[in-house]
Amino acid sequence: MSALAHPFRPAGANKIDPVLVMLWILLIAVAALWIAPFIFIVFTSLKSNAMVMGTGAFAPPSEADWGNYSRAWARGKFSTTVLNSAIITIIKVPLGLAISAMAAYALSRIQMVGRRIAFLAIVFGTMIPFQVMLAPLFTLVNSLGLINTYVGIILPYLAFGVPYQVFILHGFFRDVPKELSEAALIDGASHFTTFRRIFLPISLPVLAALLILDFVATWNEFAMALVILQDNSKWTLPLGLMSFQSQFSNDYGQLNSAIVMTVLPATIVYLIFQRYFISGLTSGAVKE
Amino acid sequence: MQLSRRLQSPPFQGAMLLAPALIVYGVFALYPLIDVFGLSFMKWNGLTPTRTFVGLDNYVQVFNNDPVFWGALRNTILWTIMSVAFPPLIGFGLALGLNQNIPGRAPLRALYYMPVIIAPIAVATMWRWMYDPFFGLFNQMLAGVGLQSVIKDWLGDRNVALFSVFIAYVWQTVGFSMVLFLAGLQSVSQTLVEASRIDGAGRFGVFRYVTLPALKPTITIVVILSLINSLKAFEIVYGMTGGGPAQSTQMLAMWAYTEAMQLGDFGRGSAISVVLLLITLAVVIPYLRWSLRRQDANQ
Amino acid sequence: MRGLGFLGRVAAFSGMMMAAAVPAHAQAIKLWTLNFANDSANQAFQSIIKQFETANPGMTVQVETRGVDEHKAALRVAAGSDQGPDIFFSWAGLGLGGEFVKSGLALPMDKYYAQYKWDDEFLPAADIFSKQYAGGRYGVPYSFHGEALYYNKALFAKAGITSEPKTYADLLADADKLAAAGIPAITFGGTVNWHVMRLLDEILETQCGAEKHDALMTMQASWASEPCATKSFTEFHNWSSKYFLKPFMGIGQDQSFNLFLAGRAGMMLEGDWLVGQLKQNNKLADYGLFLFPTGGSRLYGFSEYNYISSKSKNPDVAAKFLDFLASKDVQQAHLGDFGSISINKNVKYTSTEPLDQEWVKIFNEVNGTFVNGDQAFPLDVTTEYWRIINEVASDNLDPSKAAAELQKFIGNRK
Repeated sequence: MSALAHPFRPAGANKIDPVLVMLWILLIAVAALWIAPFIFIVFTSLKSNAMVMGTGAFAPPSEADWGNYSRAWARGKFSTTVLNSAIITIIKVPLGLAISAMAAYALSRIQMVGRRIAFLAIVFGTMIPFQVMLAPLFTLVNSLGLINTYVGIILPYLAFGVPYQVFILHGFFRDVPKELSEAALIDGASHFTTFRRIFLPISLPVLAALLILDFVATWNEFAMALVILQDNSKWTLPLGLMSFQSQFSNDYGQLNSAIVMTVLPATIVYLIFQRYFISGLTSGAVKE
Repeated sequence: MQLSRRLQSPPFQGAMLLAPALIVYGVFALYPLIDVFGLSFMKWNGLTPTRTFVGLDNYVQVFNNDPVFWGALRNTILWTIMSVAFPPLIGFGLALGLNQNIPGRAPLRALYYMPVIIAPIAVATMWRWMYDPFFGLFNQMLAGVGLQSVIKDWLGDRNVALFSVFIAYVWQTVGFSMVLFLAGLQSVSQTLVEASRIDGAGRFGVFRYVTLPALKPTITIVVILSLINSLKAFEIVYGMTGGGPAQSTQMLAMWAYTEAMQLGDFGRGSAISVVLLLITLAVVIPYLRWSLRRQDANQ
Repeated sequence: MRGLGFLGRVAAFSGMMMAAAVPAHAQAIKLWTLNFANDSANQAFQSIIKQFETANPGMTVQVETRGVDEHKAALRVAAGSDQGPDIFFSWAGLGLGGEFVKSGLALPMDKYYAQYKWDDEFLPAADIFSKQYAGGRYGVPYSFHGEALYYNKALFAKAGITSEPKTYADLLADADKLAAAGIPAITFGGTVNWHVMRLLDEILETQCGAEKHDALMTMQASWASEPCATKSFTEFHNWSSKYFLKPFMGIGQDQSFNLFLAGRAGMMLEGDWLVGQLKQNNKLADYGLFLFPTGGSRLYGFSEYNYISSKSKNPDVAAKFLDFLASKDVQQAHLGDFGSISINKNVKYTSTEPLDQEWVKIFNEVNGTFVNGDQAFPLDVTTEYWRIINEVASDNLDPSKAAAELQKFIGNRK
């Protein structure tokens, strides 16, 4: 806190450091670059086509045309795609986290044959680009008769969510002190109980972080949905946006309204739960 | 009694806990991974029920008679190299900056990271609109400051299209590297920094002899993750150029998708997937071995 | 056992999800078609369905629309599953439509042609495609389209062009006049590959004539050894380097239409459906049209069909709906919503719009058609055809080598 009270001073120094001021200006400039696309998109989303063609890119809309949003909402079938995205995400994310946590517990705390192999096989999955498997994945889901169903998309989502979550939670559970779990086990509790009563509660912060990360990943997923959800009554938001772009890309205002509406939910979740994003990412990758 | 004993044995309980994840992962991730190899030796259009075994024919066709494959391979490699170099480097710079005593660090960090959480397809749509040659942000700004000569058809000119897409990718991914580096920087021992400063080391000296060595594992991880993520680049290309103009921004992942799902040649599509997979494995396996050794050493 | 209870909940949860798949209505049919070109076409289609459903209680029709590429991919997917439509849109002819017929995905319709006496209803130029396939008749005409050059009257006048060109040489001379007046002669959108392709299709017909052009498109003649093919690419490159509104590779067809509306280019090569779009923008009076002067008598155009899927569980309902859709009354009531001309030959044309009248006149004089390249070629050749066209258009491939390059790909196919 005291550091914040005296900005631009290196630790221990009491003079303002000009290098730090320069650096700060540079960072602000980068931030301006970073935020410019958002401003441009929001401005365009409030303009009519004539205004888009007639005014400058960063000229604020002289008269905000909120109608773009309602028109894009109707034309882009947003009520359908938002609902589908919500259903898929709400089912997939907790379910996926539950099975990952169970697996991570088993792999880290229970002596079993083939434990190392199973762990390796799962961690291997964090490295494989699933994009190479779109065609066989489609063939598989299709042969099960699950094309264009929620189940058909949720199962692969679960499968490709498992590796990263298991990897993170495995690392976390492994470091839980033995005394904590052994006391419970000696008291006659099963592993199921130990997992639920001891491990789940203490890993809540990690679980929360993974939940948020997975929410955004599932909400944003496009490639798998593209091959599995062919029926536009089952489309998710990203598919709807892509279709919107291919149909109405000359309706600049509406296209940009559609972008804003697609991006907004994830952005709000991010702004609220920001610190979980950071911790969710870093707890796994950079631990030491 | 015997049975219930066995049911309560730790390995059984472990198996029960492990099973759901392992089954769903095995069926929907590992099986397609193996199937892609099988399909790559087949002639199959995705329509008929029969698949014909054709040996290495798909590979021969892809290597010899596919006018797009080599360009897609070259683009994939170029893309990967750029992805490993630029976003981590910029992310590192931002992280170093944010690690200093300056005001507004938290909002700045939040802002840099924001594009990471946006759907790649939405990023593609946003940037496609910004690159619009007539009414887009870039050309309007260039015209506004009198730089008409620099105005380009950003996504339509094959000499710049891939780089235009890449800039959108940088915008989206820099925050990811930055956050990892920030976490790494926070773990750099402040005592060591102080000590070396008292020893008279300058800004650069501290960086060179304290910060950088301490960040070595972070750097490795960021590079590997950037590399793996870059091989997944699919949506941003799909959304921005669709591989065009004239397939000049085509990449292996998307070309495999196009061959299989759009042109209906599952065999060739899978052969292209296998090539990408082998490239990935060549990177991933050494990394896995390295991290396992490190993990074992830590235990 | 608490842990198992947890697992049990997971199992029950997935059971619930399975149950969410709803069984299909017995008399319900699903129709897959392309996104409608404009909102009035969309509304017209919805009202036709309502009418049909009111007239036939218990029957329901559900429409799903997609973009061109998504539609093709979705059909391919549907082929391998039982999730597909009862009726699907595709183009007529041996290329795109033929592929699905050949794979056994379309139902032979001889029975329905006899039952509904469709040959007395359909325009022969559109009807003829249903007879091209081996082993019966497939598909029902849905629309018939021609493509022509639309021009901006004011810009033509400004460039000093007083009459519509009659020959290809005239057209080139007019393009030069426009260029001299500082007006880009023609606008295209390059991101959708099929748009620029239209120009090459027309030039091929001009340079090769009907017979050779057909032989090239059916891949029976060699692109490498037909000089007219190479000549066409050279001509095409002449157009793309001198007459196109630039840049064009980075924009789509709809954006190029915006630019055409804004008076940024003299001409646009479009189908009869553009009349409806011009009407929507209240710009009908500002534009005229003429056929691309190929020197031959064939119209550049195509027919779109609806096919009944061989997997349909209600083919009779599907046929009934298609009959309703094609009937004189429905077609008469919705004339102009889906194109300038109806596939029903008994429909009367009363529009007083000059452009509509011009199209009706063109369609009445049709003497054979040649179809768009992407409907003639199989998919993989189309992809390569587009790549080569775009390479030439972006100055990256010497036009004199383009035809040979295409032939190399065709020769390597298995």
